[in-house]
This record gives sequence, structure tokens and C-alpha cells, in this order.
Amino acid sequence: MRELVARYLSHSISRRGFLKGLTTAGISVAAAESILESLVPVAHAQDAGRIGADGIKVVEGTGGQCMAEQLIASGVKYVFGNSASEDAQFYEALVDRPQLKYILTPHEGPGAAMAAGYLKASGEPTIVMQAAVVGLTNAMGQMFNAFKEQTPLVFYSYRTDQSGRAGRDGFEEVANQEQIVAPLTKYSWLSRRADMIPETLRRAFKAAWTPPYGPTYCSWHSDLNDQRVRTEVIAQEKVDPRMRVRPNPAEVERAAKLLVEARMPLMIVGDEVTSTKAVAKAVKLAELLGMPVTQARQIYASFPEAHPLWVGYLPVGRTSSLDFPKDPDVIINVGNKLQHNSPAAMVPRGPKFIDLRIDSWSMGNVMPTDVPLVADVAYGLDDLTAAVSQLVTNSIKEKAKARHEEVRRFSERARTLRQLVSKNPDWDRSPMLADRVTAEIAQFAERDAIIVHEAGSVALHGFDFNPDGGRELFYYYGAHLGSGVGTAAGVKLARPKRQVICLVGDGSFIFGPTALWNMARLELPVITVVYNNHAYSGPHSRVIEKIPGGRMIQTGQFYHDYLGNPDMNMAYIAKGFGVEAEVAQSPAQLKAALGRARKATLDGKPYLIDAQVARVGVAWADKPWIPSR
Amino acid sequence: MELRRIALICATLFLALVLSRGALAQQQKPAAPGFPDAPGKNVLVSKCFQCHTPAMWMDQRQDRRGWESTLYRMVGRGALWTEDEIKAMADYLGTVYARKPQ
Repeated sequence: MRELVARYLSHSISRRGFLKGLTTAGISVAAAESILESLVPVAHAQDAGRIGADGIKVVEGTGGQCMAEQLIASGVKYVFGNSASEDAQFYEALVDRPQLKYILTPHEGPGAAMAAGYLKASGEPTIVMQAAVVGLTNAMGQMFNAFKEQTPLVFYSYRTDQSGRAGRDGFEEVANQEQIVAPLTKYSWLSRRADMIPETLRRAFKAAWTPPYGPTYCSWHSDLNDQRVRTEVIAQEKVDPRMRVRPNPAEVERAAKLLVEARMPLMIVGDEVTSTKAVAKAVKLAELLGMPVTQARQIYASFPEAHPLWVGYLPVGRTSSLDFPKDPDVIINVGNKLQHNSPAAMVPRGPKFIDLRIDSWSMGNVMPTDVPLVADVAYGLDDLTAAVSQLVTNSIKEKAKARHEEVRRFSERARTLRQLVSKNPDWDRSPMLADRVTAEIAQFAERDAIIVHEAGSVALHGFDFNPDGGRELFYYYGAHLGSGVGTAAGVKLARPKRQVICLVGDGSFIFGPTALWNMARLELPVITVVYNNHAYSGPHSRVIEKIPGGRMIQTGQFYHDYLGNPDMNMAYIAKGFGVEAEVAQSPAQLKAALGRARKATLDGKPYLIDAQVARVGVAWADKPWIPSR
Repeated sequence: MELRRIALICATLFLALVLSRGALAQQQKPAAPGFPDAPGKNVLVSKCFQCHTPAMWMDQRQDRRGWESTLYRMVGRGALWTEDEIKAMADYLGTVYARKPQ
């Protein structure tokens, strides 16, 4: 028995082999299992201690075991995957490695969204696993999101085994599998041998987590998972280049001079401010200069919206569309990817433009840049604030103070005007205005709630997001739909003590509701609110704007946007996944439903509200036309 | 003769001035085809055309209350308007783009 224990602890035999050895020696199955369970913590502690100060550990086992060992060494705690039979040796390895938790997701898309949500909310590395190319292609929508959002998510799927099947265009096989993800990843690679699995994984994590972040993909033939090899696993800190760079000091001086001498500077903030935990630093620089602050579309809200220097979001993605300031002469972007969605540049020609972010690749692509500051945004803000402070004289201070007051007056007025939304004559109607649903939720949400927002046609108001200790936003920047529910589940997994509310449109929801099952199974008490107007509102409005007065308008025949008849009942869908749910028709019903949702979540249960929302806009009829068969 | 010439020059200058001011006014006036002059138009053009093309209005026909509701929904999307401005725009749209008779 001692020998069996030693062999098990050294991973020379599997869990099954250990049990078989014990039962062969005459020990009952129950007793053998009990012995095995008692050894798991010992094995765990032994494994944890085995990586030495040099960060290297030699492992011997199957390719699947080596994969598990490298994931642990790379700092992974959760693995998100969908059933993949060729990964059997990896699943086998999980049994004795309780520190590596596997989350089975019933569809690869929401599964990848859940992984991304977990990663974004925790800052921890993770991996998404799919079955061959068939699972991979399901996950690729969220891979696109991760690429656009610069989320360092690692994807893995095996490919057909090379021992006899590969190369025949056989079952679940495609040529050059690792190449189909190339435009959506920073790195994609195929391991050539089983002993190279850890190395390939390490590089995938290193590439994903080296700024600018982004998804990576690795793959190998499935038979490599079964081969027994001896190889090294290496701790992540031994391969991470820790690329936190300071900006060029000469450029910092130039930027500081421009900002100090500006008549009306304007700051645009973005995701890198949040991801480098630099919100307070951005506030400090803005306050030093009395500088108004705005933000273009991103995942997070990266500036406190109740701050007197906050002037609101860019209405149509251009600084020229702001109500205030109308004529900035110096614009500084701090960590925003500045994704263009129109031919017009987001920053117009004229004002001097300072671009501070780590993503040098996208700098200068659209806007001429007077001062590029390639840097970790937190370091960049520190250096810039220090340089500005050096240049601030009493007269500059007075100027900044006067500007601060001017911005504050605008900000206060804007705040009052935004509250007029509730004066809508249809405020109390049923089905509800989307604005009413939003207002009720804003009133209901806890002061540090996390809002996951994938309701495409809904503009949020009243939340006063504050990434520095208040409410946080996770927006669907990438726009491959079906991410909201999965993201919310992942966020709740990462931040169990925070209230998580998922706002999702009916169109988006129906692309990816399967993570509701994960919420129920893992007891992730998320409140999901579906804005259900039984339609795709965005595409409806946009085709009308494209073809004003066209045949669609004249006849009322819209082929592409009505999701009713029969109306989808999202509460039934939720119940099917084990999540308590109800339909709310009116504001009063919504309030009551939110109360029940709070109670459920306090009991550790997720809850869904199917909020019935009115269709509004051009050419919507109560009973819209439906294409015939 | 000299007086007539001076008078002619003055008349020409005056006409040029009037025409140029008219042309200037024409240039300054925001292009808004399909939007007849009426009270509230200027507010509408200055506030809404920042984000929308005229196509947004051409096919939308509703009564004043409907327009008022539409305008308040724009407040929810970030528009910063006073109640008076909303009233002026709703009055205008309720008149110019009223519901078509059935």
C-alpha cells in the first residue's frame, strides 16, 4: 500500500490505477475511495510545493496531465469548456487537481463570454476549451469580442488525432485549423509534440497577457493528450515580460506644455484607465487642470459620472457632437481605443491631439497625433501629472480654477436636464418605455452594483457609474451578440459579494441564454432583466434611415425585425434552465418583480424578469406584418 | 450725368449688399429640405440635426403627444434640452409632421 501511495503522489499511476491497486490488495471499494480522498489534499500540497524558487517543475504524465499542470503554473483557477471527448486525459487529470475547477458550459459562445466576464472582473487568467473545430467555430463569436475588446482570453481546442485519422477530411476535421482564428487572435499555434503542450500554453498566456492584451489560441492533435511524456512546466511569472512601460520623458514634457497652455483642454477616457486601476489618477490630472472629461464607447465607464468635470458621453462618437466644450484646443485621449463608426474622425483636425495608451499599433491610424505617449496608462498619468505640476504657476492655477467652475456649471445643468427623461407623457404606460425600465433599475440597484449591459437599443441613464468604488459597467463593446448573460455569470463568479444585474435586449438574450443554467447550477445570484419588445429595434430604425420613403415604409412590410407572433416568453426559457423568473408588463409589476428578484438573490438564487417594452419609432404597428411562408 | 452715374453705382452697391446678405443668410441657414418655416423649426434644426438626417422625420407621422414622447426619449439617449425647447419642437413637429389622415 505504501508503494501505491508513493506512486500515486508522484503521478506515476492514475486515480483509477490507485483504486484498482487497492482493491486488488483486498481493500473494499468504499475504503479505497476514502483513502484516495484523504490523499487529495496531500497531493495538492505536494504539487504546490514542488515548483521551486526557479519556477520550474518537471512533470511526468499524459499530455492531458501536463496541460493541467501548466494551467496551474500559469495561475489558472477556472477552466471553461464544453464536452470534448478527446480531452479525456485532461478530465482525468482534473480529478486529483481540485485547485483547477472546470465549468461545463452548454454552448461554447456563452461559455467563452462567461470566461471573458470572469477574467475582466477578476483580472485572473483563464482558458476556454472546445471540442475540435466544431466547438471552436461556436466560440469564435466571443473570440471576436475578445479581440475587439482586447481581452487576454486563451482558447484551446484539439484537432483530429494524427495516428491514423488526420488528413482525410474526416469527421470534425478541417485543414489548417489553427489558421482560421488568425485574424481574431494575437497568437495561434499548433503543438508538434506532447512534451511541447506546456510550452505552447505558456506562450499563449504570455502573448495574451502582454499589452496590448488580446485573445490567443492553441491546438494540438488529440492523440498528444494521451501520450505519456516527461516535460517542464514553468510558473507564469518566469515567462511574463511584465510590460508596464513609462512614456518617453521628452514627449511627456511636450504634452504637459500643451495642456498647461491650452485654452480649453478636453480629456477622453477609456478602458485602459479602468484596467490599470488608474481612475483616481485620471481624476487628479483633470482636477489639476480644470479639464472637462468625456468618454467614447468602451466596455467600462472609466470616470465618475457624478464628478463636476464629467460632461457626458460622446453622443455620436465625435468630440464635435458634445454640448460642451464646443471648441477644445487640446484633446488628450487616456486609454480609449477610439473605435470609429463613421467616416468622420472622432477627434477633428484643428485641436492638438495627445494620445496616451499602450496600444501603439492603433495610434495615428486615423487621427494625426501631436504627442504620442506609449505607456501603461497608470504610469503615464503619474508622469504627466508630475510634469504638469512642475509647470503650473499661480496664473495657470487661476485659469484652471475658472475653467473648473465653468465646467461644473455645465455639468450641473446637464444633470438637471437629463432628469427630464421622466417627464415623458408615456412614462407610466404598459408595455413600458425602455427608459422607464432603466429608471426603475437605476433606482433599485445597490450603490456598488455591477451592471452588465447588452441591451443594444437602450441608453443607460441614472446609474452614476463610478469605477472608483461605486457602480461599475460592463458594456458589450465587441457587439457579437449573445454575450450578456454569460458575461454576467462570469462577473458574479469573480465578484460574489457584489450585486450583478444583467440588462439585455430580447434579441441579444435569445442568442445566448444558456449561461442561465450555469447561474442555477453554480448558484450565481445574478438578476437578469430582458427588455422585451419582441423586435430588433436597432436594425428597424437603421433600414428606415437608409431608405426613407421606400417600399418598406409604404407597405409596412419589414422582413427583418419583428420577433413576435408567437411572442417569446423569456421567463419560460429561464425556468427551463432552472432560474426563477416572471413577466412584468407595467412599472408597478416591474417594481414588485425587482423586490422578488432581490429576495431570491439574497437566498443565493438567480432571477430573471421579462420586462415587456413598447416598440416605438417609425412604422411600428401594434400587429406588425409577418412574411408568409 | 455724373449724379446719375453716382446714383447708379450706389444702387448697384445697395443691390449687391442686399443680395450678398441674402446669400449669406442662405449659407448660414441649416439645410433642412422638407422642413417648412414655422415656429420651433430653428430649435429643431439646431438640436436634432447634430445626430440625425432629415430621413428620421420624413416617414414618421404622429400627433403632438407622440412627438413629445419621441423627444423625451432622446433625452434618455443623452440630448440636453430644456422643457421649453422640447415644447417648441413638439409643437413644430406636431404641425408639420402630423399623423396623415386615414
